[in-house]
Amino acid sequence: MKKASKKIILLGHFGVGKSSLIRQFVENTFTSDYKVTIGVHILKKEVEISPDETISLIIWDLEGYDDIKKTRASYLLGTHGFIYVFDVTRPATFENLENDITYLTNQYANTPLKVVGNKVDLVTKTYLKENKDMFGVAPDFFTSAKTGDKVDDMFIALAKELVK
Amino acid sequence: MLETYREIYFHPRTQFITIDTSGNVLESDDILFKLKKGDDISSVSLFFKGLSAYFDVDEENDIKFTCIHLENNDRQEYTCDIEFKTFAGAQPTLIIIHDFSEHYKYYQEVAQSRNESVINSQILELKNKYLKEKEDFKNTFIANFSHELRNPLTGVTAFCSVLQKTDMTPEQQDYVEVIKSSADHLRNMIGDILEVSKIEVGKLSLHEELFDFHELIDMLEFTYSVKAKQKNIEFEIDFDEKIPRYIESDKTRIKQILENLIENALKFTSSGKITVLIKENQRRARKVNLSISVQDTGIGIPDEKLVLIFNSFTQLNNSRKFVGTGLGLSIVKGLVELMDGKITVESKVKEGSTFKININLRYPINQEATSLETKSDIERKNYLSKEKYNILLAEDSELAQMAVLKILAQEGNFFLDIITNGEDVIESVIHNEYDMILMDIRMPGTHGDELTKMIRSLPVQNCKTIPILALTANLYDADKKRYKKMGMNDIIEKPFDESTLLKKIYKHLK
Ligand SMILES: Nc1nc2c(ncn2[C@@H]2O[C@H](COP(=O)(O)OP(=O)(O)O)[C@@H](O)[C@H]2O)c(=O)[nH]1
Ligand SMILES: [Mg+2]
Repeated sequence: MKKASKKIILLGHFGVGKSSLIRQFVENTFTSDYKVTIGVHILKKEVEISPDETISLIIWDLEGYDDIKKTRASYLLGTHGFIYVFDVTRPATFENLENDITYLTNQYANTPLKVVGNKVDLVTKTYLKENKDMFGVAPDFFTSAKTGDKVDDMFIALAKELVK
Repeated sequence: MLETYREIYFHPRTQFITIDTSGNVLESDDILFKLKKGDDISSVSLFFKGLSAYFDVDEENDIKFTCIHLENNDRQEYTCDIEFKTFAGAQPTLIIIHDFSEHYKYYQEVAQSRNESVINSQILELKNKYLKEKEDFKNTFIANFSHELRNPLTGVTAFCSVLQKTDMTPEQQDYVEVIKSSADHLRNMIGDILEVSKIEVGKLSLHEELFDFHELIDMLEFTYSVKAKQKNIEFEIDFDEKIPRYIESDKTRIKQILENLIENALKFTSSGKITVLIKENQRRARKVNLSISVQDTGIGIPDEKLVLIFNSFTQLNNSRKFVGTGLGLSIVKGLVELMDGKITVESKVKEGSTFKININLRYPINQEATSLETKSDIERKNYLSKEKYNILLAEDSELAQMAVLKILAQEGNFFLDIITNGEDVIESVIHNEYDMILMDIRMPGTHGDELTKMIRSLPVQNCKTIPILALTANLYDADKKRYKKMGMNDIIEKPFDESTLLKKIYKHLK
């Protein structure tokens, strides 16, 4: 059986935890040291989406930009899925969330997309409940790359959509 | 020679690879990555997996990628730009890999420090916002809580006044006096806390009125000369008589500013003199600019504490000798700024302090034509037209009922009806000819302000004109405005003492 491989891309401002989410998902580790990603790092992880189906996710960890339209078009070639990450503690990272998501769903209408609010370990549940309207778009997942909360769930949910 | 140099110094950093339609290597110059014919190009990097759709196209493409991280077999890392070229006809696909690791290493460092500083500033901003929210919450909480504290104090002060009128031994009289002055003191402190928190959440507003500024100063001079004499210190007000007599401003607040500054000076001065200087600087467009200074010869303030002096809840001298909340100066600053004025302080330890205010006050141009009707309200008692007045008290708290009852009983010109439930008030108003209603705001059933509105809309003449006075400890400006809008004539602030209550009642009786 030849395993299907699917390319997914993480987008979002710098420092929101894209690299950390990938590291948590692929290696089950987290570090609080911040090393800025420049360009692209590419990692792979095999994901079992059902007892008899495994796919390999080719995960592109992109440099974060504050404007999504600056992302080089070539990076996005042949992408099967997007993960848009923002940092729930920094408004600057979700100021344009609504616009960015509209842009992506228009440009890549058939490509599955997950919107993720990361760093939930830094805020309380009540904060999220009371401020969920503030993000502009209802996120699909609230994750913590630090504790691992919902990280696997999020990647696997996207993986399942890729093979539909 | 050139060839020798080339051999020593030229390190080509660019690799050329061709692949077939399934992505297997045809040729490679192995400059960076060692490859054998037939190797899957994805073994160089997973990067190429994303391009598999382009491996067997029969058309021209030139796709460029920048800054891709790759790793060779010896786990050596490269940061490269990659060109991916496909051709029409059966020509193989060409991959060109440029190693720009050095360049990108520098770029990484620049991006690192830029991003870190951006993130740090955003986190700081967030922290400040969070602190501000906490601060606002605290102030609102204090404001609300102080209201609640004032209610039970109504009972204490009111009953002290009542108790003092009963038969008591001189010793008992003294005890009551102590209770009363402690309660007054507590009330003042609660008042201060309430004011500060109102100022800080921006809930305090000014009420401009026309008043006699000279008279206010005379009154202060009289009061504080007496107080200063008791402490054996001199007190002087040097007042510029040119200053317009009539001023349009918030009289209560101006008085409060001056009182707080003088009280502060008195508190920290044990010998010497307190001088208040009030000078006119200039007049412009119906506004007079004044310099006010309060100078003392007290203990003074050390330089490093000078910046803290106007903060809430700081009393510089922590020795128990000086009682109080330490809020006086922060209230002064809040009020002065609310009036668009400025306050500064200069001080020398052991020599004394000087507080200086600069402020603009509005005044009517034609001072001669201005006059104030001054009729003390309690004096009006003597001009009343009826012998007995019917008063309705709508109030559910027994404590407050008793307080009003006892105070009015001593006066002897009142009949009092008491109703404890909002619902019954309307009934009673329709069937009785009252001269006045004293209305609690928070009552079971309907609230006092709502009741007032209902009464005002009844088709009975008396209901339109009867004075209705609110009894309440709810004293936000917004509330006051609402009560007036609902048709209430005046507000009696809880806790009230005998003279406040009587003053207001006589003021509104016809
Ligand atoms: N507390 C917390 N910190 C996180 C989380 N995810 C990332 N970080 C930290 O945020 C910083 C930026 O993370 P990084 O993954 O490099 O962000 P990227 O620029 O989006 O790739 C790093 O210091 C991480 O340690 C999280 O879920 N919780
Ligand atoms: Mg990153």
